[in-house]
Amino acid sequence: MKAFEWSNPANINEAVKMLLPSTGDVDESPRPIAGGQDLLTTMKDYTSRPVRLVNLKNIRGLNSITLNAKGLTIGALVTLSELEEHAGVRKSFPGLAEAAHSIATPQIRNLGTVGGNLCQRPRCWYFRLEEVICLKKGGSECYAASGENKYNAIIGGGPSYIVHPSDLAPMLVALGATVNVTGAAGKRVIPLDKFFTLPSEGNIRRENVLKNDDIITQINVPASALAAKSTYLKFKERESLDFALASAAVALRMGPNEAVREARIVLGGVAPIPWRVPAAEKFLVGKKLTPDVLAETAKIALTEAKPLEKNAYKVPLTQTLVRRALAKAASV
Amino acid sequence: MQQQPQAQPTPKPKKKVRVPRVVNGVEQMVEIEVDDEAGPGWGPNDKHKLLNKRQTRVDGPLKATGVARYTYDQRLPGMLVARILRSPHAHARITKIDTDAAAKIPGVKAIIPAPLSEVRFAGAPVAAVAATTPEIAGDALRAIKVTYEVLPHVVHAHAAIRPDAPKVVEKEENLKEAGKNGDPQKAEAAFANADEIVEGEYITARIHHACLETHGMVVDYRGGDTATIYASTQGTFTIHGDAAKELGLTESAVTTTVEHMGGGFGSKFGLGLEGMLACRLSKQTKTPVKLMFTRYDEFVMAGNRSGSWQKLKAGVKKDGTIIALQARQYRLGGLGPGSQAGQPFIYRMGDTYREVYALHTNEDSSVAMRAPGFPQASFAVESLVDELAYKIKMDPVEFRIKNLRDEVYHRQLRRGAQEIGWSRRNPVAGGNAGPFKRGMGCAVGAWGGAGNDQCKVDVTISRDGSIVVAVGTQDLGTGTRTYTRAIVAEELGLTIKDVQERIGNSKLGNANPSGGSTTAPSLAPSVKDAAIKARMMMAERVAPLLGNPKPEEVVFADGKVSANGKSMSWQQALAALPAGGITSHGVWRTDLQSRGVHGVCFAEVEVDVETGHVKPIKMVHIQDGGLPLNRLTMESQINGGMIQSLGMALWEGRVMDAHLGMQLNPGFGDYKLPGSLEMPEMVPIIDDDDKREAVIGIAEGCIIPALGALVNAVFNATGVRVRETPVTPDKILMGLMNPNVLSRG
Amino acid sequence: MTKSREDHDAGRRRFLKGMGIAGAGAAIADHLWTEVEAEEATATPETLSGSVKVVLDVNGKQREAQVEPRTTLLNTLRNHLDPAVTGPKLVCDVGTCGACTVLLDGKPVYSCLVLAVDATNKKITTVEGLGTPENPNAVQAAFVEQDALMCGFCTPGFVTTISAYLKKNPNPSLAEVKEACKGNFCRCGTYPRVFDAALAAAKSTGA
Repeated sequence: MKAFEWSNPANINEAVKMLLPSTGDVDESPRPIAGGQDLLTTMKDYTSRPVRLVNLKNIRGLNSITLNAKGLTIGALVTLSELEEHAGVRKSFPGLAEAAHSIATPQIRNLGTVGGNLCQRPRCWYFRLEEVICLKKGGSECYAASGENKYNAIIGGGPSYIVHPSDLAPMLVALGATVNVTGAAGKRVIPLDKFFTLPSEGNIRRENVLKNDDIITQINVPASALAAKSTYLKFKERESLDFALASAAVALRMGPNEAVREARIVLGGVAPIPWRVPAAEKFLVGKKLTPDVLAETAKIALTEAKPLEKNAYKVPLTQTLVRRALAKAASV
Repeated sequence: MQQQPQAQPTPKPKKKVRVPRVVNGVEQMVEIEVDDEAGPGWGPNDKHKLLNKRQTRVDGPLKATGVARYTYDQRLPGMLVARILRSPHAHARITKIDTDAAAKIPGVKAIIPAPLSEVRFAGAPVAAVAATTPEIAGDALRAIKVTYEVLPHVVHAHAAIRPDAPKVVEKEENLKEAGKNGDPQKAEAAFANADEIVEGEYITARIHHACLETHGMVVDYRGGDTATIYASTQGTFTIHGDAAKELGLTESAVTTTVEHMGGGFGSKFGLGLEGMLACRLSKQTKTPVKLMFTRYDEFVMAGNRSGSWQKLKAGVKKDGTIIALQARQYRLGGLGPGSQAGQPFIYRMGDTYREVYALHTNEDSSVAMRAPGFPQASFAVESLVDELAYKIKMDPVEFRIKNLRDEVYHRQLRRGAQEIGWSRRNPVAGGNAGPFKRGMGCAVGAWGGAGNDQCKVDVTISRDGSIVVAVGTQDLGTGTRTYTRAIVAEELGLTIKDVQERIGNSKLGNANPSGGSTTAPSLAPSVKDAAIKARMMMAERVAPLLGNPKPEEVVFADGKVSANGKSMSWQQALAALPAGGITSHGVWRTDLQSRGVHGVCFAEVEVDVETGHVKPIKMVHIQDGGLPLNRLTMESQINGGMIQSLGMALWEGRVMDAHLGMQLNPGFGDYKLPGSLEMPEMVPIIDDDDKREAVIGIAEGCIIPALGALVNAVFNATGVRVRETPVTPDKILMGLMNPNVLSRG
Repeated sequence: MTKSREDHDAGRRRFLKGMGIAGAGAAIADHLWTEVEAEEATATPETLSGSVKVVLDVNGKQREAQVEPRTTLLNTLRNHLDPAVTGPKLVCDVGTCGACTVLLDGKPVYSCLVLAVDATNKKITTVEGLGTPENPNAVQAAFVEQDALMCGFCTPGFVTTISAYLKKNPNPSLAEVKEACKGNFCRCGTYPRVFDAALAAAKSTGA
């Protein structure tokens, strides 16, 4: 870890100010720290070298979960354990509790926050090696594109082929969540499906629309029938501790005669952003979830997949997760 | 007690025996001369009071409460922390090292170059820094400017074997022949008589020891005439000699201590480059220096298990007799020669011919790892044997029995089949319905496990009742401390608590390095010898108080000393000792140990054929080992063997990038050790049908077969034969999608 | 140093009370911001750099150390306290192995992923704070009894994680034990006996 300055603002505006002074390289700019469970790992491998850490944990009002008829609000500093153990979340947003539970280990979840989970940096091993200056670190090449790309993107990749590591993100996108953000330019509310950026669209050095002085303060999830019938299925190579090789976040609203009225399907672990599949969602409307319909939906969900040399297995794997997640959500 | 002891040393006849000595973790057979006579033995395995029972380990309370002090926990006044600068290039010449900026950082006390001017693997040490904190040492590393002349590299075996591949070492071939065995014409001709032939290429990934305590040491040298080295090592006596040279001291002026150490598995012998650099930094600063590898260092510099690439072809008769084998074996040891047992390993295969090669790449040299070369050979041959059995539709257990000579395996295989419930197994591979398919597999393994004559043990009994057994050996977590105490306590009719052990110090009696399962069979006989001698010395002292029996007639049991119908307490007996107490000196006795262990492993798995996920359900390992010194710790070690083999089978493997020449997974996130959720039900079984009254090492034996058993179980479950470890979901799914890529049964 | 947890929580409680907890649900962030800003707009952020003194509550004792902001809690315990607290081990240094597990206000966390400056005014419990060789807690005693350790380097982390878990769930199933310690890794291969020890400890405490 490179030496840095530690600052303890007591409110959000101070925090934003502390984030403002920016050095030349984006990876050396001040960073906000909440749980630090990802940020500190990027600092230990020198992927990020912030001159200052701005501690958000003394800012009041960012660490509670509230649930009412309109929906769920989650303070950005709520820990992943608090989220997964919250009785109301488990009851009315089961997929979200499952997604939280699927993350890392109990130790990580005791400190890692919801806001931090959405802002994790990629886990691509090229990106994480200090010696390798890849495209996402200001270099000129995505080494995964033609290298050891077993864990990389099969959809939406190029010129970088990272996958987004967040487990909450696909579920929150499926549930139509928004995030409240405060920055030097003021406050704004961003729908989560507009929050993440593809390498081909946004700043290639980042994975979302946040500017360096932006802080996520809250996540809002509208109450809906979809939320009550939601599930998150994550496939890990090593069950004990792993990021998703692929995951499926699914939410359903059922109509009469066991037919689907509305569906949300978002894939994780396969694209640089949580990857929503509207064509598959649309296909499901009005249909019963028969094995044939599930198989066809899964097929449609992966039609855009363009696997790299070593990750074609992710296609059948993700199809399985889509099928199983839909069947599971329907039975909730 | 047991048999008749020798009362007084008399000139003894000698005999020559071949014993294993461990050099850098690898067994080498040497001929030595030992006394040609049998002393008192261990007695029947079922007649022990303390041995062959379940003894909790004596250092358990220290380890469970965090009090046990490991090398990594040493902190000395003024101690500096050292870090190593690694080469980012897989092959390069170092043309310049500019340390000016680094040296100016406050807290940086010394910067030295590593001894190499040409690096041949990414991660090779280039320089080392000593500073007041690890953070400052890290700053200094990043301030050193190194200029490299980058040379071509090759890190993948399939690329290194090409004639136009870059040379790993200039002017040397990447492929070096390492031996041939058998008659190629005869083997080739034998295939004509085969009813079925199986041909396949089997590959095992390079895996890492992943010792939780990284390699390293604390060198405590402050400019005087002596030095102490706290080392995380498997060989207390493998360090001070080279350290003395580095420090410019006499060998006897340097003491090595290893109180507790956090795992070695074959990788921790000798001073090592890290120790050399630590000595140089300490010498230069005249200050204690701690140099422990970072986890990244550990992955790229601390050695690894040799990978393997084996091309096998075997022919079988319909009656189940294997009649021919051709093998081409590549040992993938990076810069080193690698290791791999010769095929057909322990099977009888008629006319066999093998060629063995070392195939070099720009990677750090592999080093010994628990049963060096054996799991690799076992995986390949056990896969092959399984394929042959399926081909002729013979039960894999019966097929193995037919082609294994040693009847111990027959017994163990039948028992293992019963324990796992082999009769539940579907003989049709992939034949079970539904996406979650169960399957079973088995495999066998062998190891030597003999000891050698390197241990010198003292037992001192003081008049105040303290009993100390002292020897410089090290406890790697195998339970050495516990059985050392137990042997002495049992001999004297006392309890484990009555004895204290002193180990892990090079000023104590010599001991062999712990490699190749040689520790127990070397140490236990020497401890036993010292204990017997101490008992005889006690007996002579107390004899006058018991009506002058012959010393060997004095019985030490249950805390009492008796003879001729007279009895006294241990406390009373102590009063008969001279003021300085008594000290006996034990040496190794060949008749107290033996050689040759057998093990079989059975595994049941459940494979989700729609995701490729393999869930281990149950593993059974049956292991013989002569006299079990401690059943509790022996079972733990069998579990450990199964679990490490399970890791090799399903998750672990070094990943190298061809272009960058670097390891991509040098950390515990991407190098996937099995964790709690990966654990099946585990059944470690000590084979008590082995009646040998002799200590034999079992550590290596119990890591060998599980790998093959698991992979065979995956095949039985899915019908997909994955011939390359680790057997990860991608390989299983691709195998199911493209039957032509991988063999299907 | 940092604002104490007590102050923080007290402030939050006061605030929520003022709002009315029942109504707080619907009133999302904007309301909170207004309140918070009004209350604290004048405060000056504390900034630390270079060498800083921290006071840590370790196993019930106030311990002082001189560290940098980048010094982890793990490194502080092991290398900056005198006498050192070396039960928690440095193994992976990136929150993937569990050997450095300590309890922060009773919850298991990886001390390699906590900064010392961020751990002040929290109760830190290490394996040493759970028991001693002479007076071990139930988990430590069960680890010895069940031979749940070999080299022992992962043991402090497992013991700490499981001790905290049994407080939360005094009567766990085998599956729950596995889930609870999935963030702790062992290389010697002690897992089956770690599970046995956790279940035995649960039983012995009469839960």
